[in-house]
Parts: sequence; C-alpha cells; structure tokens
Amino acid sequence: MSDTNRYNVIGHALPRVDAPEKVDGKALYVDDYRFPGLLHCAMVLSPHPHAEVLAIRTDKALSVPGVLRILTAADVPVNQIGCVFPDQPLLAADRVRFVGDRVALVVAETREIARHAVSLVEVDYRPLLSVHDPELALAGDAPALHAKGNLLAHQKIRHGDAAARLTSCDVVVEHVFEVNYQEHAYLEPQGALAVPETGGGVTILGSMQCPFYVQSGVARALRLDRNRVRVEQTVTGGGFGGKEDYPTEVAACAALAALATGRPAKLIYTRGEDIQISTKRHRMRMRYRIGADRDGKLQAIHVTQFVDAGGYAGLSTIVAERANSTAAGPYFFPNAHVDTYIVYTNNLFGGAFRGFGNPQVTFAIEGMMELLAGKLGLDPVELRRRNLLTEGMPIICGQALPPSAPSREVLDTLVDRADLGRLRAEAEAFNKTSRFKRKGVGLALSMYGCCLHAGGQHLEGSGALVQVRADGSVEVNIGGTELGQGAFTVVAQIAAETLGADYGRVRVLPSDTRMVADSGPTVASRTTIMSGNAVRAASLQVRSRLVELAAVMLGCSSRDIEVGNGLYRGGGKELPFADLCMEAFRRKLHLAASGWYAPVPKPWDKETGQGIAYSVYCFTGHVAVVEVDLVGGLVKVEKVIAVHDVGKAINPATLEGQAHGGIVQGMGWALSENLVLDKGRCLNPGFTDYLIPSSLDAPQMDVVFVEDPYPDGPFGAKGIGEPSLISVPTAVALAAGNACGQLADRIPVTPEIVLRWTELSRRC
Amino acid sequence: MTTVRFVLNGKAVQAEVEAGTRLIDLLRETFDRTEVKEGCGEGECGACTVLLDGRPVTSCILFAWQVEGRSVTTVAGLDEAELARIREAMVGEGAVQCGFCTPGFVLSIKALLDSNPAPGRGEILEAVSGNLCRCTGYERIARAVEKLAREGGSR
Repeated sequence: MSDTNRYNVIGHALPRVDAPEKVDGKALYVDDYRFPGLLHCAMVLSPHPHAEVLAIRTDKALSVPGVLRILTAADVPVNQIGCVFPDQPLLAADRVRFVGDRVALVVAETREIARHAVSLVEVDYRPLLSVHDPELALAGDAPALHAKGNLLAHQKIRHGDAAARLTSCDVVVEHVFEVNYQEHAYLEPQGALAVPETGGGVTILGSMQCPFYVQSGVARALRLDRNRVRVEQTVTGGGFGGKEDYPTEVAACAALAALATGRPAKLIYTRGEDIQISTKRHRMRMRYRIGADRDGKLQAIHVTQFVDAGGYAGLSTIVAERANSTAAGPYFFPNAHVDTYIVYTNNLFGGAFRGFGNPQVTFAIEGMMELLAGKLGLDPVELRRRNLLTEGMPIICGQALPPSAPSREVLDTLVDRADLGRLRAEAEAFNKTSRFKRKGVGLALSMYGCCLHAGGQHLEGSGALVQVRADGSVEVNIGGTELGQGAFTVVAQIAAETLGADYGRVRVLPSDTRMVADSGPTVASRTTIMSGNAVRAASLQVRSRLVELAAVMLGCSSRDIEVGNGLYRGGGKELPFADLCMEAFRRKLHLAASGWYAPVPKPWDKETGQGIAYSVYCFTGHVAVVEVDLVGGLVKVEKVIAVHDVGKAINPATLEGQAHGGIVQGMGWALSENLVLDKGRCLNPGFTDYLIPSSLDAPQMDVVFVEDPYPDGPFGAKGIGEPSLISVPTAVALAAGNACGQLADRIPVTPEIVLRWTELSRRC
Repeated sequence: MTTVRFVLNGKAVQAEVEAGTRLIDLLRETFDRTEVKEGCGEGECGACTVLLDGRPVTSCILFAWQVEGRSVTTVAGLDEAELARIREAMVGEGAVQCGFCTPGFVLSIKALLDSNPAPGRGEILEAVSGNLCRCTGYERIARAVEKLAREGGSR
C-alpha cells in the first residue's frame, strides 16, 4: 500500500455500504421476495446426455391440484437463447444435448406441488450416441450435435514463425496439461422472479451479474420490445461468472410462466440442479511446446488446445478467446502459433468463471516454465525473470504492452515478501527428516487482460446516474452490479471523493435497466474501471456546477475552489457540502448527471489473432507452501503469499477481501473440487461430495498490492476480481508436485494423483 | 398434519406441519423468517443455521416437528445490543461480501462466544467450519471474531 494517499475517501479501508443489512439478515435475495398470487416453477430435465424427444405427456401432472400449466417448446415465442450464438432452446423441442437439458416447465401454486408434478411428466426419449471428449467429438464418426458439426469455433494466433523457429531452438520441451471443470458454488443458487406488467411486458427480479443480458435475452425469447422488459438485480449471493449469461435462462423461464398465467412466477434452482445444469469453468486439454536458447531466452511457443463447450455455445467462444490470446502468459515469445478449438460435447455446460480461460492456460505455461528450467538447469524463477514481458514489449497478439505493467515489481515483491529462498530451504530441511509428509513450494505468475477482449468491445460502454439531493445526500445508479465483490462500495467512494460529499450519505441503488443505459456485463474485472469511470464522469459534471456556485457564494474564482472532506473551500472561507446543495436547489441548479465511459476502439484480426486484445493488463503472482500427506494423499495448503498489481487500491479492505477469496476458491479447484462425470451426468452434484474449502482448509494468507496507476482508470485503478484467483491453482498444484518431486499437469491434484506420484518416486 | 409448538425468537408460536415438513420451510414460509437461507439443502453449507436451544443446527435437515417444545433463534431474534456488537465487528473487519452465508455465520459466532468468550484462531475456525463462505476466504471473518473476543465476547 502506498502511504502517500492524498485523497479523503479513495484509498481508505471504509466499511462496505451494503454490509449492515446483510449481517442482520434483512437484505432481500430473490427467494425472499413475496408477492400475492406468486406461482412457483419447477423444471423437467433430460436424464440423457443425447436423445431425441419423441413425446411429452402432461395429463397426469396437470391433474395434480395446484398445477396450472406445463409449458413446453411450443409455448416459447422464440425458442432461442444463447448470448453469442442462438443454438440453444429455452425448452428442448425435439432433441436434448446434455444431462439436464430443460424439456418442460411446471407452473404451480407452491414449490412443493411444482416439484412433485415434475415427476409425473412423462417424456419419451430415443437415446442417441453421445460424445464426451472434445478430441473424439472432432473425429469423423462422432455424432454431430449441431447442424454445422461439433467444431463450434477455431481461434488462432499467428505471430512470427513458431514451427520453423522450434526446429532451431537449443532446447525444446513439450507437455500436455489437463484441467477439470470447476463449479462456482456461489452460496445462493440461481433464481429469478417475473411479474407481469399491465399494458404488456414483464418485470424481472433476480440473482444475476448482467441485467442487460437478461433484458435482451428475455425480450428475444418472449418476442417483446426491450422497453417492455425491466430487469432489477436483487441482492446477489455470489456470481464468479456463473451468473453472467446463465440467469437469462432462469429469468426467461419465470417470465414465460408469468405471461402464460398472468401471475407473478418464481424459479429457484436446487443445488443439485444448479451443479448439473448451469455453466462451469471449462474442462480443457492443452498441448504445449516451447523452445528457448541455451541461455534461457524464449524463442517460440506452439499450442494446440481443446475447450469442452458442452451441448451449447453459451459464452465458450468468448472464454476461449482469453485462453487463446494469453496462452503465453506474461512471457515474451517472438514466435507464437496457437490453435484453440472450441468443441461441442454432451458434457456439462462450459461457461464464464473467474479468470475466464486464463487460469487454464496459466497452469499450462507455468508448468512449461518449470519443465524448461529443469532442462536448462536454471532456477525457474530466474527463467521467468529473464523472459518477463515489460511495458512496450510485444505480446503474442502483436500488441505492445501498455502502461501500467509493473511485472518486474510484482515478481520481485513476491520473491522478497515470500522470502522464497528461506521457504525452499525450510521445505528441504523438513523433507529430509519427515517420513510420511513432504513440504513443497510453488510459484506462479499471471497476466490478465482487464475488461473485455477486442471481440466483445461493442459491449464495453458503461453508464451511471448520479443525483445529489438538496440535503447533501447522494444517489448513484450504475450499469454494473454488486455480487459481493464490493462494486457498490467502490463507486460510492468514487462519487464521494469526486463530489466532496459525505461517504456515509452516498446511497447506491439496486442495478435496474430503467435507470442506466445498457452498460454491458459485470464481468472481466471491469466494474471498477467502467462503472467507476462513468460515476466519476457524472460526478464531475455536478461538481463543476457546485464549484461555480461556491465561487459566487465565497466571492472567489472558481479556479480557487478546493473540494474535499465534505467542504468546498475558497477565498479563505468554506462551505459545507450540504449547505451548498441546499442553495443549489433553491437556485434551481441541475444536480443530476449521467456519465458514460467507453475506451478507445481496439483493432483485431480474427484470422491471425493479431491486434489490440485488451486495453490494459494486470500482473499477479502467488507463492504457495503445502504439506503433502504421503499416506493419504491429501494436500494441505499452509500459506499463500499474493502480490497484485492493482493500479490504485480504491478500498484496501475490500481489495484484500477479494484477494483472500480468490486464494481459497483457487486452491479449491487445485485440490479438492472435483466434478466427476459419468456420460455427462455429474455424480457429485452437492456440497457433500463436491468439496469447496471450509474455514479449516483456509491457509495463512499474506496479500501485497503494487500501485502503478493506470492512466485510464478511475484514480488509476485496475480490476482485481479475476486476477485474485488466476495464478493460485497453479501455485498450489506446482507446490504439491514440488513436494513429491513431480510436475503437476492435472487439476485437481487429487489424493489419487499424489499417491501415484509417491508410488513413482518410490520406484525411482 | 400435526401441531408443533415452540419458541421462535423469544415468542411462543405454533403451526400445523406435515410429518415431512423441514424446519427451514416452516421458518421461511409460515413465519416469513427469510434471514434463514437455503444454500444446499443437505446440511453442508450452514446458510440455514439457526440456534436450537442455543446451539447451532442446520434447519434444512431437521424436521419441523423436531423443535416441539424447544427454542429456535434466528439472527432476527438476537438481543439488539449483542447483534450491534457482532455487526460492528463483521462490518468493520470486512467480513461480509455477498452476504448470503452471513446470518448463519453470525449465529455460529454467537454460539461460540456464549460458550467461549475468548477463543483463539483455531477454535474460531473450528466453530465456523460448518458454515461455508465462497467469497471471503474466511480470513476477515476470523478477524471479526478475534476482535469480538478481544472485547470480551458478543454481550
């Protein structure tokens, strides 16, 4: 943390604006809303990974007292959802493509009746051959899931001539890495509520990250104008990407039920449904080959990777674009050749999850650095240091790394703060004396393109509405959302600092499509930058009106007015903000403004993957220390040190909280969170068998921020949401491998893997 | 249908329940106690934690009839001054993010401090291990409890 903070509100660890009502249990999540006449929905889901739907018989279910409607494909005006490609029906018409594909929707007076009636809906299926591996799905004899085949997309990077250069490198290493799915496990399951509006249309209340995605998706499915679909985000119990595009499906179901019955309707997922059918972090297989000179200078990278999309496109191509364009991590390669294949299978639905394709490739490239260092006889940290990208250097998409890019400072701070040499020596000493346990140390770096990729830049504009009331209180609406990450707190600080208002009297209202123009999604660690800049722009407009007035009242030039700490000062006198607002109101000044922020356009060539991929990059490093039980195969994470390049810490407390959460969620994926599939059916769809870390698993954590202001960020800030996780799974997995003298090339590192390693080292 | 009589947040109440009615549904649907959250439905996440005669239990895996003659407390039933102290510590230490797990944590923390006003870090982590949080990594929750412990408990 910088100790030269010159702001009154920015940079201070102020309490969150939304925390008190959450502690008291008074914050209303979607399932807490009550409406007269509220109906409940439940879903009929396919038990098959791939099948034809021959017939749906609803008479038995309809005869249950309290069941109003059973909706099927024929009831959906435009039976197409899907954020990027319209390849997915809301209710499957003639074919199902994954276990849990939605076939019908029961609408009933109570949730209990609705769920009971689901078991009475009879569906005749004719099972089809299914495919469960992306490479097999690309083979000629694989069953085709969609008319155009199973290759959803092929993305490329063509930079220099990697194939040729690899033949002349002094050292070449190659390896295959595989990672399994990760379930978001937000504590609040998916849910939405729809209220039919008089005059047509519908109001949606729901747990979501992206109200504007829900608005456009529901409008399309129900063939309504978007101005007939109002979407208000309810307090949301975690998202992590799982509530990016997916809630559109949930909301469209609730809206369909509401419009079919003329009554409010709610759909809340059970945990088991949520794990089986909502989106997951993608399973990926990554084949890497890299070459270097004898002195460790990297020369070329060749990557062929497969992204398992599941039965429908969802956001898979967008996620894959991140894996594609940052496949080389934070390292300089003059030559790069990347092929990223996004493939339909009958597995789980791949989608957005904190890091968005980057944690997968970070695992692969960092593993490659370990392998190469081993082959060169170089310290792996030294190898990283020699090849680290710094400001102005070209990344594999040809873009010169823009400021801020304090990659070296991140690595040096990490090595110092962790006292890496000592940690390694301690582990070595422990391993010499311990018979059944081993300690290991892992280090990983990551580079994350903050905000949307060039391919999605048309969604990047973001708005805000700032209204100052006559009593000096402030209302803020943003197009972004609060998922728990602290967005509302950060924008309240930005508004208070800019206006000179009292932070405690800034109220950020629930995100609502009625209040702000379409601001794109709350994803890509973009909310502090996008909504923050929009709030700053709106606040500056109001502030300039207040400054003019203050100059008149204080009898000085507006250039001499200083704003801060709830006061406007000038000419040796001062005016409290609230008094100034009251006077402004009396003088009929307009104390509201809308703000808009959109970054400059980024050119991008799809064929070569060359152009400006992202506006700015975040660098992160993690060191993990683990203890491995050689008998049971369990890995305990003892300590994690994190260094984050954040531009500027708007709120060090919420920032650190995000960093802690990323560490624990990341180590969960690395070790214990293992979704097990049998032909597309999840065998552990609950928290009894899908093990997210508990308080007893959390390691000791040390988080450090590097502040190198981002010129286009509000007060210099960049994002933290995803960088907080990205290099964690790799650091933890590498540490576990280090303890056992092996390279971790699978995530999660299950006890079975550890025991196999132990077996291997015994044989050696 | 059977009648269950119990004390909810200090008040004697009764309700008609089926043999299979879960306690969480009785609390949320009949008594509108929406601060009791359902996160998993199998007693793993602790979002539905309530105090049963002062001890934390998960209300999604208890039947409603099991609370006959007993006392059930949700976060809304805590003594106001006590809740204020816990709130101040949780908010002040940044122990809250999405908040869905928070009412459950508050009750586990209260129960811990009732039996052990000065717990150490290990005891704190043990006491909240039945409450899952996906946002905070638990660190700032533990710090909030340590703060309460330093100040002599939650009362």
